[in-house]
This record gives sequence, structure tokens and C-alpha cells, in this order.
Amino acid sequence: MFEIRFAGYGGQGIIRSGIIVGKAASIYDNKFATMNQSFGPEARGGACSSQLVVAETKVLYPYVTKSDILVAMSQAGYDKFESELKENGILLYDEDLVKPKSDRVNTTFAIPATRFAEELGIKIVANVVMLGFFTAITDVVSPEAMKKAIPDSVPEKAIPLNLKAFEKGYTYGKNLKKPA
Amino acid sequence: MSTFIETLANGIKESGINPQKISITSDIPFRPEDIKYLGVDYFHTNRGRAVAFGTGLKLTNPSLKVIPIIGDLITLGGNHLVHAGRRNMELTVICINSFIYREIAHKSAPETTTKFSAYSTFEEPFNIPHLANSCGAVYTARWTALHTDELAKSITEALQKNGLSVIEVLAPGLNYYQGIDKIESSLLNFYYENSEIKEGIEPRETEIRNDQKIIIGRFTTLERPTYLDTYNAQLTRVLGDKFIPYSGAVAEPKKEGE
Amino acid sequence: MKADPKSVLTGVYYIDGDVAAGWGALAAGCKFIAGYPITPSTEAAEAFARVAPKAGAIFIQMEDELASIAAVLGAAWGGAKAMTITSGPGYSLMMETIGYGAMLETPFVLLNVQRGGPSTGVPTKTGQADMMQSRWGSHGDYEIIAISPDSPQEMFDYTIKAFNLAEKYRCPVMIMADECVGHMTEKVVIPAADEIEIEPRNFYKGSAEEYLPFKPGSDLIPQIAKAGDGLNLFISGLAHNEKGYPVKKDEPRGIYLKRLIDKIQKNKDKIIELKEEETENCEVVVVSYGISSRVAIKGIDMAREKGIKVGNLRLVTVWPFPDEKIRELANRVKAFVVPEINYGQIVFEIERCCDGKANVVLVPHGGAGVHNPQDICDAIELGAQKEKKSEGIIEFKTRLEKLVFEGNWSAKE
Repeated sequence: MFEIRFAGYGGQGIIRSGIIVGKAASIYDNKFATMNQSFGPEARGGACSSQLVVAETKVLYPYVTKSDILVAMSQAGYDKFESELKENGILLYDEDLVKPKSDRVNTTFAIPATRFAEELGIKIVANVVMLGFFTAITDVVSPEAMKKAIPDSVPEKAIPLNLKAFEKGYTYGKNLKKPA
Repeated sequence: MSTFIETLANGIKESGINPQKISITSDIPFRPEDIKYLGVDYFHTNRGRAVAFGTGLKLTNPSLKVIPIIGDLITLGGNHLVHAGRRNMELTVICINSFIYREIAHKSAPETTTKFSAYSTFEEPFNIPHLANSCGAVYTARWTALHTDELAKSITEALQKNGLSVIEVLAPGLNYYQGIDKIESSLLNFYYENSEIKEGIEPRETEIRNDQKIIIGRFTTLERPTYLDTYNAQLTRVLGDKFIPYSGAVAEPKKEGE
Repeated sequence: MKADPKSVLTGVYYIDGDVAAGWGALAAGCKFIAGYPITPSTEAAEAFARVAPKAGAIFIQMEDELASIAAVLGAAWGGAKAMTITSGPGYSLMMETIGYGAMLETPFVLLNVQRGGPSTGVPTKTGQADMMQSRWGSHGDYEIIAISPDSPQEMFDYTIKAFNLAEKYRCPVMIMADECVGHMTEKVVIPAADEIEIEPRNFYKGSAEEYLPFKPGSDLIPQIAKAGDGLNLFISGLAHNEKGYPVKKDEPRGIYLKRLIDKIQKNKDKIIELKEEETENCEVVVVSYGISSRVAIKGIDMAREKGIKVGNLRLVTVWPFPDEKIRELANRVKAFVVPEINYGQIVFEIERCCDGKANVVLVPHGGAGVHNPQDICDAIELGAQKEKKSEGIIEFKTRLEKLVFEGNWSAKE
């Protein structure tokens, strides 16, 4: 079972990230995936997070208690949820946006996701670059499932670009020999 | 039949609408024999919800004519009337105004104090035609219950309008019989004698006051697209062919042996 | 009959419980939803409003919840399958008219996505504290049916079931969901239309002269009519006879109530759905509903690892209450453990049915979250330690309560 937290700020596709991974895992990898997003004041005030539990059997407890994976797309998101990450939990972060503390070196992986997205021509696919990276580093979902889930979740015109963004992050993750 | 029921029946008859296609919704209890006489369907709602109930009825089956008959100076459920006006919901609202709030009758009139207002009341009543007109009603009128011909004509006209019509009727209640009850009769006569017909007057000028005659008549009539007109137009514009124009929502009936 | 293909969005989706309920309503043949937005139920109305115009259905945002429920009753008597959607504060506003609906034996569905209360409470977080209100909230005596789904898939499936029950028993049916289930996103499989069974409306087809809108058939349920069919309906919230006319002085008054109660109580076996697991030889049974029944399984698993024999009884149907099932279990088990997100509602029903034969442990929760499974496990242990006799409802403190009330809580935790 994986408890996963996506954190960032509004507009980065944080909720969408949770939905795409959840969809890939539950519909295309035949696992069970329960996604919850932050509602209320915290959802409106810039900071934004979604939580996803992926399991081989029905998810009974729907929330993250201690996360196995934290995906941080903003410093505030990192600061807020770092303490929730398990001791040997995996941290994935955008290296231009987050400066993590120096502990957990062995399980920390960095990618310039937003910079890569800008190079692809549009900043808003940064989350999809991150999802490619996420797929490469962790064992939560298969890349095949992700490549099916992404087209379901974005406008038709944007599918090729999103798949390219996914590939970019995935390749970067696979080539990354060791944690940052 | 009571004076009002007869007037209502005449108004319906003159409109040419089949009474079977008319539903009366009212939080004021009618008597079964009145409904039988009118030949309509009748829904006695909980207090204040006749207009909202009627909205659901009308939207489900737009071929129906729905007549919410309300009272109490539109206190309970007043908000429903306001928004029915805004939407131009196709309802023919008749508001029986019995003036529980104000001692309309001064000097020569009978007492209108109630147990809630043992020392007579001091609150101002709503100017109902003005309120309805401001909210967007397409037809407003006020009559006393003794102006039976004029009221019947207004009911006919209102039933033929597309949209929200509001007719205020000054009456001591639903079931009154001219000449039978002494107090009711004298009250009705008082209304009748102290009223003055001013057709087409600005509704804002029709406030009922102690020191002047009650202004009655047909005040406004205008055309506005109804709720379903605007709904269908908007959804056609946005959804095009994907939109199934809305024409009612009656459920599939159970077949034999199902 | 089968569902209308126009109204069924067949496919596999990753959607939240609210959306699933909105789509479930459409699949069930619902053509009319009137509602007023309120967190956390709004997404269900939004989902319906988005798909309804493409399926010949309509959504109307009314001016308030008083209007919404009244419009739904109007729609039902106009002949539509109708629903309203709300949460706590809106639910309270609807109460008077729900009783009116029960009195008129009106088929309609109400989705309450419960949130933390009372008052404004915690609008964005979960609660299960409207359960008694759903049964007793309107004045006077009446019966309703309430079901409590625990996942987005069930939000879809049980919304259809709710409509079918409403048609069959001519009564209000409440879907007592909660914020957690409403806002949780999971896989939902929507089958083909011909795999969805729909209860059609049992309209009266005879002559106007002979029609008695409240004369029951052998199943205690009368055939319904709709406005505009020349039946000269007289439908009133006053105590009425079979014709619908107000009962007169010389008629026995109040007797109509007996059937309103009986048509649900005497059909209980057909209405109630329970999910039961390992209750044959257990010492303790956990009884739960809605989201708590999912979290409970986690607590049950923990207790089983400790060697305690625990059974699990999930109330899919909460009202009418399964008295007989609880009575039967009370003869055999030491204790019932009841986790619910309130300070005791359904637990009192269980205590009543125990009739002094078993202990009852309430695992309370003040709302704005779900139970800590460890608490449920602890409560099971407590129940298992007791003798098989009744001490009534045994006091149980959750971990959070101990932390806060014993002064060890700090903002960081």
C-alpha cells in the first residue's frame, strides 16, 4: 500500500495529478486507489494538496496518515507536509521551487519539472513532467497505465504535449542514477 | 358555493382552459365539494409552499396551468413569490388578502383585531401588486371579493398570460358567502364601498392606506419570456444538437405484469 | 423495466461520490432535481445539472431549501421521478416538507451528504450526526427509508436503489451519505442501461370516479396518480381518508397513520439490506454504516490479529432499523461495538434491541474526520473483556479525547 501526498499551490495541477495517478492505478493497473483533495479555506488560499492511497485491496482508511511518498511542487507544500512523510519515505520535488532540508538524502529525488515544462513551451504541464518522474522513481503505477490515464484527463488538443511532458519526466527519472 | 369559488369557476370557464389541466396549489384548505365543483386537481400544501410546489408541478408537466392560491399577506413563502417573479415562472398566483395586519377599517368598519393583535395592529402591509410588479410579474391586479365580474375577467386574463400573474383579492378568507355572515358581509361591503377602480395605474401608487380609498383594478400587463423559454433558448445556444429541448418529465408508467 | 440508454453514462470512471450520485439519479430515471448549493453536496447537483439537458431532464436551482423540497414534491405529483440534494443546514430547513411528503405518500429521493454539525459546524469535513433527524426530524409520526453508502460506486448503485424503493413503497427515501464518501474519488463502473433495473411508477389507470389515491393494495401501498389526468385529485396534508378528503368528525381520526407505519414496517424484510461477515461464532460484533463501516474493517482486522473473534454487521439500510437481526445477535454475542461519527445515535437503537442481553460500546467521533481504526480495535477489546451481561452503554474514550481532555494536546499534533 502507498500513501501519497501531492502538494503545491493552486493552478499547478496538484488535484489533477492525484486524479491521473488514481485513475491509472485503479482503472488501468486494476489496483484500488482512493483520492481526496483539500477542501475549505486551505484549498482557496493558494496552498493546495491532494492525497492518494493506492492498494492491492479495497482502501479502507481513505486518508493519508503517514505518507510513503511526498511530491512537492512548492516550498510551502514541502514545509507543510514534510513531517507527515515516513522516515524512509520518498520525496520528489521540483528543484527550482523547493529547497529541502538535508536529511533523508537517500530517498530524495529532484527534477527541474517546471523548467522542463517551460522548455516544452508551456509551464502548466510541469505536473505531468513530475508524474513521469514519479512513475519512473516509484513503483506505484506502470508507465503504460499512466499513458492511458493522461489522455483521459486532458483536453484532446493537449494530449500530444502532455504525453511528451510525461516522457520527459519519465526518461529523466530512469536516467537518474542516484538520489539527489 | 362561496362567492370566491364561483368567481374562480367563472374565470376558468371563460378562459376556455380544460379544468382537468388546471392544478390549484394552496396552503389554504379548500373544501372537497369546491374542488369537485371546479373540476381541477388540488394540492393542499404545507404552509407557505404553494408557489414552490406549483413550480415543481408546472416544470414537470408544462401543459398544466397551475394556480397557487396564497394568503397571509405573503409572509410564509414570500421569497418563493419573489423568485417566481424573477424567473417568470408560469403560475397564476391569487393572493387572498385578509388584512390580518392592519386595522384597515376605521370608524364605520368592523373590528379587525385578532388574538395576536388584541389592541389592533400597527405594521404596514405589503403593497402586493407593486411587489409582484417589481419582481417581474407579467400581470398584476387587485379586486375586492365583491367585484366578482372584474375578478373573474382578471383570472381569465391571467390564465392566458405566459409567465407569473399575481392577483390580489381583498376578502376575509376563502369561504365566505355574501350575506350569510354578518361580520364578513359588512367587512366586504366596507371594502367594496371604500374602493376606487383605477386601471393601468402605476403599482407603486396603489398602496392601501387608512386615509384614502383602496385602489383596485388591473394595473400592469406585459410580455417577458418565461422560465422555460429562457431555459430552452440558453441551452440550445450553448449545447446545440446535444440539447434535448425540455418539454416535461413525466415518469414511465408501470406496464401490466411488471 | 430497464434504464433508458439516454440517461446512462456507461463506462469506467474515476469520479467522486457526489458526481456518482448525480449520475446515478439520472440513470434511475430522475428527470427533476431542485436544490440549493451547499457544501459538501454541491458537486452532486452540479454533475446532474451538467448531464440533465442532454437527457431531457432538468435541474433548477431554487431560492432556498424550503423551495427545493416543495418543488420536488410538486414534481413528483406532476409525475416525475424527483430528487433534492443537500447537507446539514439545508436538511433542517427541509424537515417540515419531508413530513408533508410522507403524509401524501410521495415517492422522492433526498441525498444528504452529511457534514460536521451542529449549526454551520464543519462544512468541508465529514459527519454522521443527521441519522436520527432523518428518521424523526419532521413533526408527527411517519416512516421513511434511509440507506447509507460507503463508496463512490455505492453512491451510484444506491441512488438507483433509492429511487426504486421510493417508487415501490411510495415514500421518501433518504440517501444518508457523508462528506468523506461524497468527496472521495474512486473507480466507478457504470453498466449498460439494459443491466440496470428500474422500478417504473405505478400510475393508476382506472376511472376517475373509482379512484382512491390512498386506498392500498394487498402490499399496503396505494397506486399513485399525477396532476392533469382528469382524476379531480384532492391531495392534502390534513388527516385524510382513502379519497384524500379530510376526515370528518364522525370518522375515526388518526387511523390512517397505522398504514403509513405498516407499509414500511410490514415490508421490512424486503426493504432492509445488510452486509454481514463472520457473525456466526463471534464474541463481539461491530455495527456500522456509511464511511465508518469501511474504517471499521481496519479496526476489526487489528482485533482479529489479537485473536478476538469479531463479526461485522454493516447497515446498508439504516431505516427501517433491523431490530430482529440485532435481537438475534444479542442472544449470542458479548458486546456490540458501534463506531459512528456522532456522540451516539444509532447506538441507542442497538441498545434498545439488546434488551439487556449484551453490552454496547459506542466509539464516538465529534465529526470533521473519520475514526482512528485503533480506537475501534480498542473498543472491540474492551467489549471482549466484559462478561456476557449488560451494563448498558459502556463508556469509551477515544485516543483524541484522552489527548485533549487530559491536557496533552498541542497544536502541532
